[in-house]
This record gives sequence, C-alpha cells and structure tokens, in this order.
Amino acid sequence: MEHNAVKQILSCRDVSKTFYGDGKCTEVIRHIDFDVTENEFVVLFGPGQCGKTTLIKMLAGLEECEEGSISLENEKITGPRPDLGVVYQTTALFPWCTVRGNIEFGPKVRNKDKKETRKRADHFIDLVGLKGFEDSYPKALSGGMRQRVGIARAYCNDPRVLLMDEPFGHLDAQTRYMMEEALENIWQKEKRTVIFVTNNIEEAIYLADRIILLTNRPASIKQEFKIELPRPRDYVSPEFLKLREIITQAMDATV
Amino acid sequence: MKKAVQLEKIGWVVFDLLLLLLGWIFLVTCTSAKDTFPDPVSVFSMLFTSFVKPIGTYTMWGHIMWSLYRVMVGFTLASVTGIIVGIAMGSSKIAEAIIKPIFEFLRPIPPIAWIPLAILWFGIDEASKYFIIWLGAFINVTLNSYVGASRTDETLIGAARMLGAGKRKVFTRIILPASMPQIFAGLQVAMSSCWMAVLVAEMVRSNEGVGWIIIRGTDTGNTAQIIVGMITIGVIGFILTTAMSWIERKVCSWNTTL
Ligand SMILES: Nc1ncnc2c1ncn2[C@@H]1O[C@H](COP(=O)(O)OP(=O)(O)O)[C@@H](O)[C@H]1O
Ligand SMILES: [Mg+2]
Repeated sequence: MEHNAVKQILSCRDVSKTFYGDGKCTEVIRHIDFDVTENEFVVLFGPGQCGKTTLIKMLAGLEECEEGSISLENEKITGPRPDLGVVYQTTALFPWCTVRGNIEFGPKVRNKDKKETRKRADHFIDLVGLKGFEDSYPKALSGGMRQRVGIARAYCNDPRVLLMDEPFGHLDAQTRYMMEEALENIWQKEKRTVIFVTNNIEEAIYLADRIILLTNRPASIKQEFKIELPRPRDYVSPEFLKLREIITQAMDATV
Repeated sequence: MKKAVQLEKIGWVVFDLLLLLLGWIFLVTCTSAKDTFPDPVSVFSMLFTSFVKPIGTYTMWGHIMWSLYRVMVGFTLASVTGIIVGIAMGSSKIAEAIIKPIFEFLRPIPPIAWIPLAILWFGIDEASKYFIIWLGAFINVTLNSYVGASRTDETLIGAARMLGAGKRKVFTRIILPASMPQIFAGLQVAMSSCWMAVLVAEMVRSNEGVGWIIIRGTDTGNTAQIIVGMITIGVIGFILTTAMSWIERKVCSWNTTL
C-alpha cells in the first residue's frame, strides 16, 4: 500500500472557451473542471470535433482560456513553457532535422549541456526503439516511427506534464496496438504525468488511470471513471470488456 | 537501372546536338542563309581560338570571368537582402503591410527599364551594372522568401515554442529552414535573371564581358563572333542553373518534394 500523499500537479478550474470569428461564435468548452495528480495517466475521452484539441492547446498555453484558469503547481499557465511537453495528432516533427536533431531540439534551444543532452537523447532513442535510425529524416520513417520520435522528443525535454493529442489517431490498427503497448512500457519506466486525448475507447481503457468522459460540443465533463485493472491490460479480459460496456453506455447517453 | 536511364538521357542530348548541327550545315550549304550566316567550322574554330587569342582586351576566359564576377556581386547582394526582407515580410504582419504593395508594383517593371535611372544614379561604370543585376534578382528572392516564410506550418512554430524556443530561435531554427525550398526556388530564378541582366548591362555599356562580345560583333559586322557569344551565354547559363539545383538538393535533402 502506498502511503505517500498524492500530490496535485495540474488543475483546470472551471475553464470555458468560445471562438469568435466571421460573425458567428462557436462555444467549444463549457465549464471544465478537473485536477491531475503527479504521475497520473489521465485520458480525455470524447467524440470527434467536441473540443479535445482546443482543451489540450489551452492546457499547453498555446490558446488562452476565456473563463477560468489552468495552473501547474499553483502557477497559472499563461503561455508555452518547456515543462509541458506536447505530442501532436499529426506528427509535428521538424522535417529538416534528423531523428536525433528532433529529439535533441528542446535541450539544445534551451542551451543545456551538450554531452548530457546527447546521453539523454541516446537513452530515449533506445527506449522508444529507434536505434539505428538516429540520422534518418522524418520523411524516411513510417507513421508509427514518427510518433515514437514525437514521444522521445517530448520526453527528452524532461517536462513535468506530457500532453498527448490523439497521437495514434492516424495509425492503422496493428501499429496502434503496438504503439499503445510501447507507450505504456515507456511510461512505466519513466513515470510522468500524462494527459492523453483519444476517441478510441479501447485505447482509453488500456492506458488510463482515470478516464474523463467529455460530452459533444461544447465539451463539458460527463462522467469520470477510475480504471484500476492491473497493467499491462488485456483487451479481451472480462473486466476490460465490462468496463468497455459501461463506458459505451455512458457515452451513448451523452449524445 | 538508374545508370541506364541516365545514359539514355545523355544519348538524347547528343542526338539533339547532332540534329542541330546537321540543320545548321544544311542551312549554310543548301540555302541562301549562307550569305548572312557563318558555317559551323568558322564559328567553332573562332570559339576555340578565342580561349587563347584575345577578342578586344581579353581572351574568352577573361570575358567570362568579368561577366561571372558581375553576376556574383549582384546575385550575392540580392540573395542576402532578398532573404532578409522577404522573411521579415513573411513573419511580421506590419512589415508585410508596408513592403508588399511596393513589390507588387515594382515586379512587372523589367530590369532594362531601370537602365537610364541606374546610369543617372550610379554612373556608367560597374556600380550601375551591379544595380541592374541586383534589382531583378532581389525582387524574385524577396517574393519567394516571403511566400516561404508566411507558409510556415503554425504547428511547427507551436511545437518549437513548447520545447522552449524563444522568438529568435523560432526564426533561425523553424522559419528559416521551413522557407528554404521556396527560397531556393527564388534563387534559381534569380540566378537566371542575373545572368540575363549582366548581358543586357554589358550590351548597353562596357568594354569587356560576354555581352560585350556580341555587341562588338554587331558593330564590326562579325556574325561568327555574335554566335560564339550566344553559344557561350547558353553554356554558362546552363552550368549556373545546374549548379544551383545541385546545391539545392544538398541543402534541402530533407525535403519530401525533391
Ligand atoms: N481557431 C478556431 N476558430 C474557430 N473555431 C475553431 C477554432 N479551433 C477549433 N474550432 C472549432 O472548435 C471545434 C472543436 O475543435 P477541436 O478542438 O479540434 O475538436 P477535436 O479535437 O475534439 O476533434 C471544431 O468544431 C472547430 O471548428
Ligand atoms: Mg483533435
């Protein structure tokens, strides 16, 4: 039994967002309020177009909150900051940098020690299984490998919180399973607070400590589920399937 | 496989050249063109001897070097100024609003139209030639760099900022490399325009250079010399563009569209 006090790391206080443009306004986020504890794996699970990417951008400081506030360890997030790492839906790798160049980008622009950076990069290149591809350019990699680079790049910058926006959304089913397994593996070895967005229910249950179920747009929190199945999880175990049934029903009720 | 394809390509080039030569021989032996047009033998013998025997003050090497030197001065100035102004326009809304209309207005004016003003402002010597050569290239490089910079993927800028890059590093490490393919497209066009501009400038007023060879040939009624000048212009122009593509492939090897 763990007796360490669970530490709150990130809090999202009653956040709302409406986009105003071309004479019409789109309400995207409505009163979203949740906390994340250190090293927790939180999955934001909701239908397409409900506002998940917008929420992740707000958590990252790339988009302003219209109402409410988001803070990291009681410090308000007002803009992009390197202690928040982002892994993107479409691979936002820098095409002119090699795999190593991408992974070392963060520490390099922050003028970290070169030797130390190289060692860190080597460690994560190894961990995500990209050994031998250090000098390849992104164009030469498959979709799954690109997302591995994306994950290693985020990790190598040593963020407090990792924000992942449907990182496996564009992959085929087979690769997707492999990547989910790889991510869980990496996360077990390199514990980190993760906020992971998906609209795939299996992915959500496989990875999450806690699933936050979002409604259709404007997104608000419908329900939360704590997932306490032992890891690594089995997609076809009765417990897994039962959870899947429960969450699907809750989800249908939102529509 | 690849080698065979290349050999085939070279074969066709040789074929084209032979065809051209045969047509030329036919014209000067069987038609009335022989009265006004020199035959291949006199042209090529003049071309080859021009490398050792001077035309005017210099041998062909000297003339080529003069022209290339002028191109390089104008091209280098145009590249540096064009990339700076273009990227400034592409990454700052204010710079864009101020500068872009001026360029849209200047673009359709051919460099030749500037010659009188250039001579008025810079005199008849080298400076006015540099100005003419610089001008056309500068407008091309600027507009291309502008397009490249303004099309930089916002997600990549966001990703770099998230990883800790400040304004300056976003500029040098994201916007600049992202614009490279477009900048090179501009440099490619600029190189051709510089080469053409130097010839025009030399034809208007000079005592040396490949353009001068043609004008001198005209003044002295030496058709062979005109054609020698034209062949040289073609060959050097071709070498310059090929060199530019080669450099582009090296610098932008990451680019998926190459
Ligand atoms: N900058 C913006 N301006 C106007 N509307 C936007 C903007 N960004 C997103 N939206 C709208 O917000 C809605 C939610 O988008 P998004 O957050 O990308 O959803 P998801 O990631 O869940 O698919 C979409 O309908 C989209 O049209
Ligand atoms: Mg999205």
